[in-house]
Amino acid sequence: MIITKKALPRRTFLRGLGTTLALPLLDGMVPALSAFTKTAANPAVRLGFTYVPNGIIGVSATGPRPSQWTPTAEGSAFEFAPLMKPLEPFRDRLLVLSGLSQVNGRALGDGPGDHARAGATWLTGVHPKKTEGADIRAGVSADQIAANALGMHTELASLELGLEQPFLAGGCDSGYSCAYTNTLSWRGPTTPLPVEINPRAVFERLFGDSDSTDPAARLALLDKQRSILDYVSASLNRLQARLGSRDRSKLAEYLEAVRDIERRIQRAEQQNATIVLPTMERPNAIPEEYEDQAKLMMDLQVLAWQTDMTRVTTMMMAREGSNRSYRSIGVSDGHHSLTHHQNDVEKIERVMKIDKLHVEMFAYLIDKLQSTPDGDGTLLDHSVLMYGSSISDGNAHTHHDLPIVVVGGANGQLRGGRHIRYPRDTPLNNLLLNMLAKADVHVDHFGDSTGPLSDI
Amino acid sequence: MRVNILILILILILAVFAPAAGAHRQTSSSPAAAFESPRALVDHYCVGCHNDTLKTAGVSLRAVDFTKAGDHAEVLERVLRKVRSGEMPPAGKPRPDAATASAFTAWLESTLDQSATAHPNPGRPAIHRLNRAEYSNAIRDLLALDIKPGSWLPIDDSGYGFDNIADVLSTSPALLERYLSAAGKVSRLAVGDIKVKPVVEKFEPPRDPQLGLARRNERVSDDLPFGSRGGLSFQYYFPLDAEYQIRVTPAGVQTDDPSRFEMRLPVQAGLRTLGVTFLKDSTKDENEAPGAPPPSSQVGMDLRLDGARLKLFQLTQRGARIEVNNVSIGGPYNPTARGETPSRARIFVCRPASAKDEGPCARSILTTLVHRAFRRPVTTADVQPLLAFYERGRRDGDFDDGIEKALEALLVSPEFLFRMEQDPRGGGAARVHRVSDVELASRLSFFLWSSIPDDELLEAAEHGKLKDPSVLQKHVRRMLDDPRSQALIANFGGQWLYFRNVATVKPDPDIFRFDVSLREALQKETALFFDSMVREDRSVLDLLAADYTFVNERLAQHYGIPGIYGPQFRRVSITDPNRRGVLGQGSILTVTSYPNRTSVVQRGKWVLENLLGMPPPPPPANVPSLTPHGQDGKPLSMRQQMEQHRTNAVCAACHARMDPLGFALENYDGVGKWRTEDAGSPIDASGALPDGTRFEGPAGLTNLLLTRYRDQFVRTAAEKLLIYALGRGLEYYDQPAVRSIAREAARDNYRMSSLITAVVKSAPFQMRKASEP
Repeated sequence: MIITKKALPRRTFLRGLGTTLALPLLDGMVPALSAFTKTAANPAVRLGFTYVPNGIIGVSATGPRPSQWTPTAEGSAFEFAPLMKPLEPFRDRLLVLSGLSQVNGRALGDGPGDHARAGATWLTGVHPKKTEGADIRAGVSADQIAANALGMHTELASLELGLEQPFLAGGCDSGYSCAYTNTLSWRGPTTPLPVEINPRAVFERLFGDSDSTDPAARLALLDKQRSILDYVSASLNRLQARLGSRDRSKLAEYLEAVRDIERRIQRAEQQNATIVLPTMERPNAIPEEYEDQAKLMMDLQVLAWQTDMTRVTTMMMAREGSNRSYRSIGVSDGHHSLTHHQNDVEKIERVMKIDKLHVEMFAYLIDKLQSTPDGDGTLLDHSVLMYGSSISDGNAHTHHDLPIVVVGGANGQLRGGRHIRYPRDTPLNNLLLNMLAKADVHVDHFGDSTGPLSDI
Repeated sequence: MRVNILILILILILAVFAPAAGAHRQTSSSPAAAFESPRALVDHYCVGCHNDTLKTAGVSLRAVDFTKAGDHAEVLERVLRKVRSGEMPPAGKPRPDAATASAFTAWLESTLDQSATAHPNPGRPAIHRLNRAEYSNAIRDLLALDIKPGSWLPIDDSGYGFDNIADVLSTSPALLERYLSAAGKVSRLAVGDIKVKPVVEKFEPPRDPQLGLARRNERVSDDLPFGSRGGLSFQYYFPLDAEYQIRVTPAGVQTDDPSRFEMRLPVQAGLRTLGVTFLKDSTKDENEAPGAPPPSSQVGMDLRLDGARLKLFQLTQRGARIEVNNVSIGGPYNPTARGETPSRARIFVCRPASAKDEGPCARSILTTLVHRAFRRPVTTADVQPLLAFYERGRRDGDFDDGIEKALEALLVSPEFLFRMEQDPRGGGAARVHRVSDVELASRLSFFLWSSIPDDELLEAAEHGKLKDPSVLQKHVRRMLDDPRSQALIANFGGQWLYFRNVATVKPDPDIFRFDVSLREALQKETALFFDSMVREDRSVLDLLAADYTFVNERLAQHYGIPGIYGPQFRRVSITDPNRRGVLGQGSILTVTSYPNRTSVVQRGKWVLENLLGMPPPPPPANVPSLTPHGQDGKPLSMRQQMEQHRTNAVCAACHARMDPLGFALENYDGVGKWRTEDAGSPIDASGALPDGTRFEGPAGLTNLLLTRYRDQFVRTAAEKLLIYALGRGLEYYDQPAVRSIAREAARDNYRMSSLITAVVKSAPFQMRKASEP
């Protein structure tokens, strides 16, 4: 898919049937690229978190095929191991980090359910409560800490993307709510954020589904939305008084969402200025091929960052514990079943094919960021992305020595081209503190963090 | 052996008045009861492990006072479950004989039930956000607008096997944005916004996720004419009386002129069915000789609106069968009117004759809408803020625009989007109370219809008539007979039995012959089957025992049923006992398989969890996986692989329960086709339960479930139905209600309606616990 920058006439136009539709943009919602609050000298840093489920082959020296993922050498002289090879073009922008852990993904007396705990811990570092529903609890996730701090600058505080539909019926993992495996993002300890898997819905979330490009009409629309939200808040306040405490907290969630969108409207009104925006064909259905779907979602992620609609994105390459098959690369077994390979050489080979495909897709995203201009550089210059999993060895369900790669320029704050090994069980949350700091979000502590990593 | 009910009552009375030690002597003197006293029995068989020191599995039965069994309901419900299923006392320990155990469980059951009747604990469901299906249906019933706007919302999380669980349904900013956007779209369509801008929407035939475009050689929808093949049929809501541009893009046809298969025509507003299909050429052999160059031929492409032909296009087919790639509809262009739609008829209950009528008419329209949307009597305070929206819209446009703006706001009101119940004022004594009739009406409609109450139900509730059991019963019957109860089949049935998942499974097409037609057929079979259970008010046991099902040609072929032609579904008798009931249906067999093989474990687990209500504990970490080859390198059958796996003692404990159930279904491959061999070995579909009971094949398993496990199956059905009806997980204190539902159903030959009515009559459905102060 090609994204080009283009100035649109202010009048609505629709081309003939079947051709590319003009972006049905709500001009107010798409800020001018020139109107960023940041300056060229100090561009905003975007944060991305890309997750792969079921671990990766060859991370740990104790697992099978140890040299497939983790480079043998440390420091700047390392060589790319085969599974990471697609990222080699970005060597000087990339850090390979070994030895990091999410120890709260371990059972700690809760028995099975490592996939649920993996999904729930990756960005939280908090041991999730084992429950099917009534009282889910993990911790606020790093992306949401960032969203909370950076959200004031953008229309959307964050974007949660995924590529796999949740189960429609039945359970997910061993007595854990599906929320733990379906998302990485926790707005609060009890509020998981749903992942959007439909590119069209993402597109409409970014740019709206109206077809008006007239700024005056857009302002009127925002004004109307604001009055609807006022009405909703008033109703909520009236109801709160009449309900019990548990019910009140349910409604509080709704009220919080109202506040969030009010902020978005405010933001959009401020930016209702000149219109220079990228165009992109409005996606229709979910593409059949995994690769097409992944690339389309990544295009949308780039578009969201490029237009500064949001600065924080999470993306799940599949649900944690996913058992999808990848026929386009000749793997017809389910991913999760395969990762319990029990050292079967053939199965390991097939898992490696999947691992490689995921990395290739991530490389597509990085490449795209690198080729997208942003201020005085590229989007990649002004981003930090973490790629990896909260399971290391999918066969043994280990949560230490996780596969973690960090890519991006972080506005000159990240010195890439290195492989760093940390002592066993160093919390991944420490790295998350570093990442947050790169985006100018300063927190001393969250989850099980013990302090930022040195030398990042 | 059953304990005489009179004796049970006597025991209970004595248990209350007499000291514990002497109380139960009475039972031992009775020939029917074979245990001395519960205390003695438990001391003898249980407290060896379940005492204050060992507390095995966190349970001590040392301090349980059996004269006050109700106070210990939480632990005693566990005891009851474990003893009844035979899991406790564990194998290898001394166990009471069957008569004693059953007398004990009967006594315990009845004691707990009596205590629950005296002191009901109905629980308290949280406030409940409408889920996607409920939102769609509520819009449909509120506005006579059947456009499934719930599909525009993010997918809901599920818990306890269902996606209508109040605690799990959360609200995020992304969701609220979708609500706002949906409210705008819905209100524009319902009122008919004359200023709406033209848009182009594209529709595609279902594609196989792996094979792509299906190119089917059959009639693909009941809405398309007989003798047609391929194409697609879909519903489209034409927002206004206006012109629309329809363009078909065929696949496999070269043309330089994309407008060749296009037409522009006036269409009246409303929901209409658009179809594109091809005329089947019956003179052609469907199986061309292999290698023969595909002859080119003329094919007619038939474009239809609401069944009537709009145009017949002539195409030249070369090579692969022509199929529709997509259909796009653009419009509305040059609108002439808002149109006379069912939605407008439903919304505009009055028409202002003059300017001074406008205010009162708007109030009347909005009062009617709010009444339905909030599902309760309306107050001025409810309507007033909406009138402000009306006035604003009226200022900028006409009367209808005003109503549209008010409707848009109404659709994001928390009282529409959430189901809320209130504690009665005054509190105090009413810690446990009946929900109000109006609240009960909503509970009922969301249970049976996944939607808001209709006017008839709401009116009965507002007149306080639902308290009357016979009125309530009448409404249940009426609502089950209404087509809206289809929701119960799709949402309850689809999630209980998992057949909803057929839409997303991805069997490997290199291994199985699996395509769009089979996918659709499998889903439809079980949906029709479940529907027939409810419509014909059959026994819930027929879910397993029925000697009929529904098939079309594709599915009959899959099952090896001869003499069925054409894509339409019809009811057929089943002579092969193995195909009877849901255990013989491809939908269930496919969703419990892996993409490339069957799963004995998943199938066994499915039976345990969904039919027997005893989910196996989850697997331990670091499970050794299966080895597909023996030491001699020869491929092993699934059974051989599993048997090897079970030599591991850790695994064996659970697999001994799951696997035999799954093995019985091994004659069905990963998509439910009958087979007699696996990996070159003949299928051995025999199994034995841990207690040694042997059975063989699907028919043997079904038979076992219908005889020895009948009560357990019925209880499980009651449990699932109650979870779904309440929208919450069940707790120990719900077990008496589950048993009473199962008992009531048994009295009426397990009819579906008796099961449903018993749920409606149960304490947790009718009552509610007040909030903690």
